[in-house]
Amino acid sequence: MDFSFTKDQELIRKSIKEFFEKECPKDKVRELKEDKKGYDPKMWKKMVKLGYTGLVIPEEYGGTEGEFWDILIFMEEMGRNIVPTPYFPTVVFCAMPILEFGTEAQKKKILPKIAEKGEIWAYAQIEESSEQDASGITMSAAMSGEDYTLNGSKLFVSYANVANQLLVVARTAEAENPEEGLTVFIVDAGAEGVVCDVIPTTARDMRCELRFDNVKVPRDNILGEPGKGWAVVDYIQQHAAVLKAAEMSGGAHAVLNITVKYAKERKQFDKPIGSFQAIQHRLVDMLTEVEELQYLVYKAAWRINSGSPSRRLNSIAKAKANGVYHRVCYHGIVMHGAIGWTEEMDIGLYHLRTRSMEFDAGNTDYHNDLIASELEKSEPEFLTLFA
Amino acid sequence: MDFQFGKKEEEFRSEIREFVKEHIPQNEYGHMFEEEHEDKSWEFSMSIAKKLAQKRWLTLTWPKEFGGMGASFMERLVFSEEVGYWGIPGVGMGVSGTAWVGPSLMLFGTKEQQEKYIPLIAAGDPDGVWCTGYSEPDSGSDLASLQTSCVRDGDEYIINGQKVWTSAAHRSRWCWMAVRTDSNVKKKHHGLSLVIVDMKSEGLTVRPLKNYVGLHYFNEIFLSDVRIPVENLVGQENNGWNHLMQALSFERGVALGFTASCRRMLDELINHTKETGLIKKTLVRQRLAELEADLEGARTLAYEAVWKMENGLSRIYEPSRDKANVDLLFEKMSRFGSDILGAFSQLDPLHADPRWAKIGGIYENLFHACPGIAIAAGTTDTQRNIVGQFGLQLPRSY
Repeated sequence: MDFSFTKDQELIRKSIKEFFEKECPKDKVRELKEDKKGYDPKMWKKMVKLGYTGLVIPEEYGGTEGEFWDILIFMEEMGRNIVPTPYFPTVVFCAMPILEFGTEAQKKKILPKIAEKGEIWAYAQIEESSEQDASGITMSAAMSGEDYTLNGSKLFVSYANVANQLLVVARTAEAENPEEGLTVFIVDAGAEGVVCDVIPTTARDMRCELRFDNVKVPRDNILGEPGKGWAVVDYIQQHAAVLKAAEMSGGAHAVLNITVKYAKERKQFDKPIGSFQAIQHRLVDMLTEVEELQYLVYKAAWRINSGSPSRRLNSIAKAKANGVYHRVCYHGIVMHGAIGWTEEMDIGLYHLRTRSMEFDAGNTDYHNDLIASELEKSEPEFLTLFA
Repeated sequence: MDFQFGKKEEEFRSEIREFVKEHIPQNEYGHMFEEEHEDKSWEFSMSIAKKLAQKRWLTLTWPKEFGGMGASFMERLVFSEEVGYWGIPGVGMGVSGTAWVGPSLMLFGTKEQQEKYIPLIAAGDPDGVWCTGYSEPDSGSDLASLQTSCVRDGDEYIINGQKVWTSAAHRSRWCWMAVRTDSNVKKKHHGLSLVIVDMKSEGLTVRPLKNYVGLHYFNEIFLSDVRIPVENLVGQENNGWNHLMQALSFERGVALGFTASCRRMLDELINHTKETGLIKKTLVRQRLAELEADLEGARTLAYEAVWKMENGLSRIYEPSRDKANVDLLFEKMSRFGSDILGAFSQLDPLHADPRWAKIGGIYENLFHACPGIAIAAGTTDTQRNIVGQFGLQLPRSY
């Protein structure tokens, strides 16, 4: 058992941390709130140059061939600094499944563009029902000759406004089981019939409505097997859940630190408010939750990194992150008093992002149900030992 | 990062499971809450203690020369987990002796004391059963304010006062007692001493204090001119507070097996919902999942604390963090579990009837054991004080 990172991993963390602290102070975060693109192309270029978009991509496709740990550390630090960037949709939602399910030709064509050129991708799954399981995907893709024709709309697609390419999940066959008959398409964001509108959301992570009106997609642009797209979606959700949880864990840590610092400085009744048990005990509960989340994320990541991912642990990490991040923000703001509720304070910037992050890669109900499915399958030790 | 146990620990776990198969009856998990209540279950516990002693597991963290096996923190974690999961009784013989009396005597007891008391504990002997007399009616969390007086009279001390919430006093041969040997002190922490009191002493009365379910765990001890020989003083006279702190540090980690108890109880609950089909209900699924996530978290944090101990890193606030965390988990588990069992959760654990009880009655037991768990070894809020002060470096709040 080892609860520490290696020296190399600590070094990677240090350089990422320093990069974000320098390139993305909170003034920048506030400035980008009103930006039409929702990210800073100069900063993005620097991230690409440092190899961040190629962290998990093998060298033969232009990446730095890091471990899952590297991108996990990256997400933690990004979450700590709430960096507005199309990184998550591009790398986690798209590059990772392309690496896993793509044909050799697709990988050769696409991955170097992401790793070396920072091509932006977006992932379109969610529709009007807002359901995150397969039943939520109703958009149709019909085969006509050598092409598929996409019709329908996708919602809350992050950074679709600046994406060059899209991964779009659509239904190519009707089946009793909603997980069957799905197909994932690689769609040129500029293709004829694709219309994109930005939906105003609190996180300002450029959630878009994408409408597809008779959009033609060549057959070669299918990721994975036709009709078996759920395998791709599930892969995306499982991995994105852990990495999103890492991002949220980093954010929750930051909020805890901000609040503890304030509780030590702010005086009332001639004492720091952190000396009052009402405040102190809440901070302690926050600390416990934040540390717990941190290690739950590491545990899930450890299984992924060693090649035996655990669906139970992946879902636990995300379900926990969803609850903890909000609670830490809420209590942190309340403990600040009125000042905490103003736009001058950084803490609110974190809370504005919780809804987006909670929904991405699975909300709490969704993951709790997945956990329950794993529990249904498991055999308790008290039965097996005496069997 | 690596969350796996080593080969040595896994082998130890298998060995314990062989012991469980041989000696621990199945389907009696509910009894682990009643070890000290009934004569019958106490006798069984002591019979298992004897067997554990033969394996040197009863005192596994003790050095070999004192009858232990010199186990590492990780091995201790594995043992505590197996004890919690399988409900192995008798592991502590009332807890005090194995957990802190023995280790304290090794640290600051006389050679005579070590030779007289330690082998009895390590052997799982009925004369090796200890209770601990710290709390008094007016001294709970503020322990240093204790008033039980201990006055030197020739070769003896005379003790007068009252101890309370003394777990297992009705089963113990000796009491590890904190007393006031000097009342003319400026600071209440001075003038305290640790002494060994023979529970058969004249003038000592044990009165049962039943909990609100009617279970008999703890007691009051009344001391009226109780005489003990001066050689029963442990450590230095009036240096008791420092000795107490040393002894209390051995108490850390007593809660290690708690998450494994939770694991067993949650496994039982999940199994019940599978057998009854309840697991198909959305609300039941949500609740089970929430417990599963909380438990996985509590367990992982507890491992982190042990890993830190093993590696000589900070361990000041972590055991308190984990105790408070597990208190909350037990409470949630008892509530969710009871809700799932519905009307059957109101059964009286004192009059357990297999005709009615679901899952061996463990949730009825747990539901009312919870407050006790949250109080024992420092209440949840006392633990939060420690974490606030040492984990977050906030000003002392009490």
